[in-house]
Amino acid sequence: MTDDAGRTGGGDGPLARARTAIETRSLTALAVLTSAALVVAFYYPTATVLIEAVVVDGAVTVSVFAEVLTDPFYFGELARLLSGESPAAVLGSLLSPDRRLGIVGFTAYQAVLSTLASVALGLPAAYLLARFEFPGRRTLRSLTIVPFVLPSIMVAVGFVATFGDNGTLNAALAALGLPPVDLLFTLEAVVIAHAFYNAPLVARVTTAAWESVDASAVETARSLGAGPVRAFVDVVAPQVYPAVLTGAALTFVFTFGTFPIVLALGGFQLATVEVFVYRLVRDLSYAEAAALAIIELVISLGVLLAYLRYEARNSTSTRGARPLPRRPLVPPAPTLRELLPRAGLGVYSVAAGILFVAPIASMILASVTGGDGALTLDHYRFLIERQQTGAAFQVRPWPAIRNSLAFAAAATLLALPMGVVVAVLTTRRYRGRTLVDAAAMAPLAVSGIIVGLGLLRGLVFGVEIAEWRIAASGAVAIVVAHAVSGYPFVVRTVSPGLSGLDRSLVESARALGASRARVIRDVELPLVWPAVVAGAAFAFAISIGEFTSTVVLATGADAYTMPVAIERFIGRRLGPATAMGVVLLVVTGLSFVVIERLGGDHRGL
Amino acid sequence: MRIPYVTTEYNNRVMTTDESETRRRARPRTRRRFLTAAGTAGAVALAGCSAERTGDGGDGGDGAGSDGNETDGGGDTDGGGDGGDGETPTLTVATYSSFIDAPSVSPGEWLKEEFESRFDAELEWATPDNEVNYYVERAASGAGVDADVYVGLTTEDLVRVDEELDEDLFAEAGDIEGGDAVKEGLRFDPFDRAVPFDTGYVSLVYDSTTAEAPETFDGLLDDEHAGALIAQNPGASSTGRAFLLHTINRFGDGGVASDGDGEAIEGADGDPDYDYLDYWADLQENDVRVLGSWDDAYAAWSEGEAPMVVSYSTDQVFANMEGADLDEHQIRFLNDQAYANPEGMAVFADADEPELARQFMSFMLEPDVQGEIAQRNVAFPATGDAELPSDYAELAQEPADPVTFTYDELRGSADAWVEAWERQFAGN
Amino acid sequence: MGSERAPGGDGRGDTAGDADGADAPIAVELDGVSKRYGETAAVDDVSLRVREGEFFTLVGPSGCGKTTTLRLIAGFEESTSGTVRFGGESMAGVPPEDRDVGVVFQSYALFPHMTVGENVAYGLNFADPPEGTTRDERVADLLDLVDLPDATDRDPESLSGGQQQRIAMARALAPGPDVLLLDEPMSALDARLRERLRAQVKRIQSELGITTIYVTHDQEEALAVSDRVAVMNGGTPEQVAPPRTVYRRPATRFVAEFVGDNNVFAGGVVDIPEAGELAVDVDGGDETHRVAVGGDEEAEAEEATATQLPDIGDRIAFCVRPEHLRVASADKPAGGETGAPAGENALRATVASAEFLGETTRVTLDWGDRELLVRAVDPLDGAVTVGFDPSDAHVIDVESR
Repeated sequence: MTDDAGRTGGGDGPLARARTAIETRSLTALAVLTSAALVVAFYYPTATVLIEAVVVDGAVTVSVFAEVLTDPFYFGELARLLSGESPAAVLGSLLSPDRRLGIVGFTAYQAVLSTLASVALGLPAAYLLARFEFPGRRTLRSLTIVPFVLPSIMVAVGFVATFGDNGTLNAALAALGLPPVDLLFTLEAVVIAHAFYNAPLVARVTTAAWESVDASAVETARSLGAGPVRAFVDVVAPQVYPAVLTGAALTFVFTFGTFPIVLALGGFQLATVEVFVYRLVRDLSYAEAAALAIIELVISLGVLLAYLRYEARNSTSTRGARPLPRRPLVPPAPTLRELLPRAGLGVYSVAAGILFVAPIASMILASVTGGDGALTLDHYRFLIERQQTGAAFQVRPWPAIRNSLAFAAAATLLALPMGVVVAVLTTRRYRGRTLVDAAAMAPLAVSGIIVGLGLLRGLVFGVEIAEWRIAASGAVAIVVAHAVSGYPFVVRTVSPGLSGLDRSLVESARALGASRARVIRDVELPLVWPAVVAGAAFAFAISIGEFTSTVVLATGADAYTMPVAIERFIGRRLGPATAMGVVLLVVTGLSFVVIERLGGDHRGL
Repeated sequence: MRIPYVTTEYNNRVMTTDESETRRRARPRTRRRFLTAAGTAGAVALAGCSAERTGDGGDGGDGAGSDGNETDGGGDTDGGGDGGDGETPTLTVATYSSFIDAPSVSPGEWLKEEFESRFDAELEWATPDNEVNYYVERAASGAGVDADVYVGLTTEDLVRVDEELDEDLFAEAGDIEGGDAVKEGLRFDPFDRAVPFDTGYVSLVYDSTTAEAPETFDGLLDDEHAGALIAQNPGASSTGRAFLLHTINRFGDGGVASDGDGEAIEGADGDPDYDYLDYWADLQENDVRVLGSWDDAYAAWSEGEAPMVVSYSTDQVFANMEGADLDEHQIRFLNDQAYANPEGMAVFADADEPELARQFMSFMLEPDVQGEIAQRNVAFPATGDAELPSDYAELAQEPADPVTFTYDELRGSADAWVEAWERQFAGN
Repeated sequence: MGSERAPGGDGRGDTAGDADGADAPIAVELDGVSKRYGETAAVDDVSLRVREGEFFTLVGPSGCGKTTTLRLIAGFEESTSGTVRFGGESMAGVPPEDRDVGVVFQSYALFPHMTVGENVAYGLNFADPPEGTTRDERVADLLDLVDLPDATDRDPESLSGGQQQRIAMARALAPGPDVLLLDEPMSALDARLRERLRAQVKRIQSELGITTIYVTHDQEEALAVSDRVAVMNGGTPEQVAPPRTVYRRPATRFVAEFVGDNNVFAGGVVDIPEAGELAVDVDGGDETHRVAVGGDEEAEAEEATATQLPDIGDRIAFCVRPEHLRVASADKPAGGETGAPAGENALRATVASAEFLGETTRVTLDWGDRELLVRAVDPLDGAVTVGFDPSDAHVIDVESR
């Protein structure tokens, strides 16, 4: 028993003892390192900016907040409530047809619409990917993440070329003798573009959950007399639903903080809160910008926390041993029951083709179209030429590709342990867990513009401590910043699985002598491996697509990534930028196929 | 009792206390607490970290592997021993990224080579993403400005810098050789810090194969031009802002800014009851598109979403480079006017190489350099004696009547104008 | 009488002479251990001692704190107050992996991503197999022990519940733990399998002589396998004693009713006709009954230590097991082994229902407004007479005037 507790296998030297201590405390150590990374690359930098909302000229004040909150421009009719008008009167105007939503209200409104659209377009994809077998299924699943990393200008180019007056869609409609649709510069265009970005997100998380539904549960329901629809409603849906909500919550948060794509495809009349945050920061009006950003943060975090409460209450067991068998796409028998879902998927794939494939195809087409409209490889030749002759201070394609991959790989390797440790900590129940959850998820909810400015102040300029200025920039800082942006995805994908694990699995392993960290490695992670891979893919994607923190922290052209290259290559001609965009597309697509192939072999459940 | 090991020896009996005590001592503890690398991935050496003494003496303790692109070598303002004659001085020139790195042409590379061939100095470009705001931030946070000269200042930049910072970010240019050659109308800094090096005009670009642009602002309100114009968000895009300022110049600001520090602008249209906000209400009524950035707008225009776009009057230079049909790239100066956006350069007050920086500025004003900048930045020279190909003016058009607001007019007003416009245009 | 009830303080529930290995050292000790969640105490000031080699069972209804107690012992929970000691050493702050315990859960908790062999071998990552034995041999030995010698390469999910539970046993035993903790290991299994498996668990336990703490809600299971039983209620053990004692002389009304079927009567003591016998007016009846206190040797021995002897005028509760109630049709003549009981202890009741159990029939009788349980060999119907020997009545509660 404990009388011989001092006798460990190895030597008894101080080093060995230190090692033992570190190993047994590795979870704590990891938690400390994660917190440190968050503080250095997120909390402190962000705080340097947000504090300006309440500290103006050295004095603490709430007047900036009060001004924003009572401004009908931002809060519409609600502002009147906040400025003390009677609730009844405000409610009356809210119900009237010419109510004012205010910028904040409108931003939330379009985010809700975008979320609904993303869910509506993501679910059929999840159904297809989770329940049917067809050649290229895994590759297709890997590629669903690609829209996630595309810079907004690329999406804008693809969308204008697809949905514009002279776009592919109207050309097709005209060929069919149908009237043209006027989609661009409307709220619909913005919502569809948001769905382009986020429906794949919904599809991915839902597919993962759907794949881990245990077949025997469905079979039990069927044997008890439930028809396939009933079995779906009673058994499959409750297990898939939390994942759909995950996707929906994340989509809301992303689209609530949307910025360039709204103005590119909608126009300024649809301006969101983030548009004003950007303008205010650009005009150096930090107090108002910070106040708006805090309001954004509170709303986004509120939605995330509401979702997390739901997740905590509804975690389903993930001990599904045997996944549901996939069905062939070609129906085995021409019965209505077999044909109907496939017909539905057929309709969906046409819609998905228009929505997801056509814009990307247009982007690819733009990359091989010259100024005179003829096909050309000039834009790719430009990339090669820039690579060969570009000056050292210019962005060259290969270093951008190399940096993107290296940063993304490193950020993923860092985000994984960070995400796992936070997931482990937040699946426990304790007082103040909500606070930890909120703190852990905050990087998703803070305005990217504010984070960028914060990184500039907090990291690039550094902190002055006792006459020393400690600053950080360059590759390592970029990697840490990317990991901080990406790790919440690891948390969100891994956490439901972990909390659904039978607690006695962990306890058995510990009773057998495994430390907490060792149990995570040996038991928990293998059992939620698909979720780990999914989280890794998201972390990778976030890093690949990240722009702001990269340009802020880069110490020169040698640290730039593909999105920066794309931005630099935009000129009068979009060709070079689209060519670089296609490079990004291909490199990212290949990366995901590789990541998921590597990860897929370890499928635990 | 600690021996539940299954060996025949112990089967079928319960051990006595004595035996178990003996075994307890005999058997070494076997549980091994070993852990693999699992936990150590988080331990990242902050290789990009640097620590510097903040006092102005000494360049103490360069952090491990500081990979900054800042000027190396001392950096002592009061000319410590190491910044001296023995070494080639480095001039750090800050600018916006397309000045050195555009897909078509940009003057950066040529300027660097030419400058280095003429002076015994090295030119290093710095293109922070936040452009001049980066240096405002640096100065405000006490981190020190790490560049010598900024290229690409606009009137509004100066206004913003002066409103934000109490100390001077830029030094007075002083006597710059060749400075007299700068056209008088372009000088925009009343405090003589910024020296213009080129200028551009924001006008309409239109595709004459689909529509003919109107001659006047009022013409834009005609039904035939409904949905025909794409402009940019004046809060984020310089062309967008120039176009907004042009409408204010034309229609007046209706006293929007007089609540602030500025004086009311009277419109050139001579109608005091009709201001720019009225004009924009009418434009919005006529379906003007205001997109986020010049990129968005030009891309949408290129795809034929609308026949007209707010852009630069040098558009045909690019169109010609690409071999595009010039009919699709026509320039229209509304009311024969265009908003002029002169770009200036200024020495940072905190520059390590102020003398070299001034030499650079005068280099920028030399006739051949002016010509190169104009062509490579696709703009117009700031001096009267620039060497330009004779056909340059054929494609790069200048308005008969350039319009611009002065520093004093913008100061205290520009923010209010933009905000009032935003509130009207995006009121939800 | 009532000494097992442990009125609190010293020696609670740990009566010398109960365990078989009375002299064996204490393997596990709980000293005033409590576990509170907010206001509610899941485990309330529990003190227990488990001897080395003992098969000790915590039994009680759900929510009684037995599983929490086990989890405190395993180190999965930290106690709010009190100390858990292993071999005299405090386990405060010692994580489960350093306690040398083996745990088997109701859900088996086999690692689904490992084979059976890998599961069993898992603990050997942290402990060496016995000298002269390789890892593989150790795994094979344990699979032999649980009668699943060929399961090494099987996937745990392909095994039946009972097989999985045996693998879980083997896995828990592989690293050679000091204490084996079993948390409702049979609950998920069907009744017949449960009986077989518990016999196997008992066999393995006694072969290895490993200290075992077993948690179950099934009192029959508890009585069948244990050296000693702690009957828990409301976070506290109400009685800690060998199965026989718990059954025959329940310390409290709760124990009396929880362990096996029982008939509990309450009434007032009206007379003490002779030493060791009480005359009681039972509530709900109109007769005075004679109830023995003591009557067997064990009871005699305890009388000396009993904290309280009833006096005339006290209210008491006593219980009589169904098998000790003699029952006969009311119209049959009294007397004889199967006949209706004679004397003061006769009750008149009517048959309400009967369950035929094979050997006997479990009969529910209506007696006044309450029910009595009896065992009968012959079918019964209608009005019956019930009686019991004073020595079969066991006093469980005394309330002084």
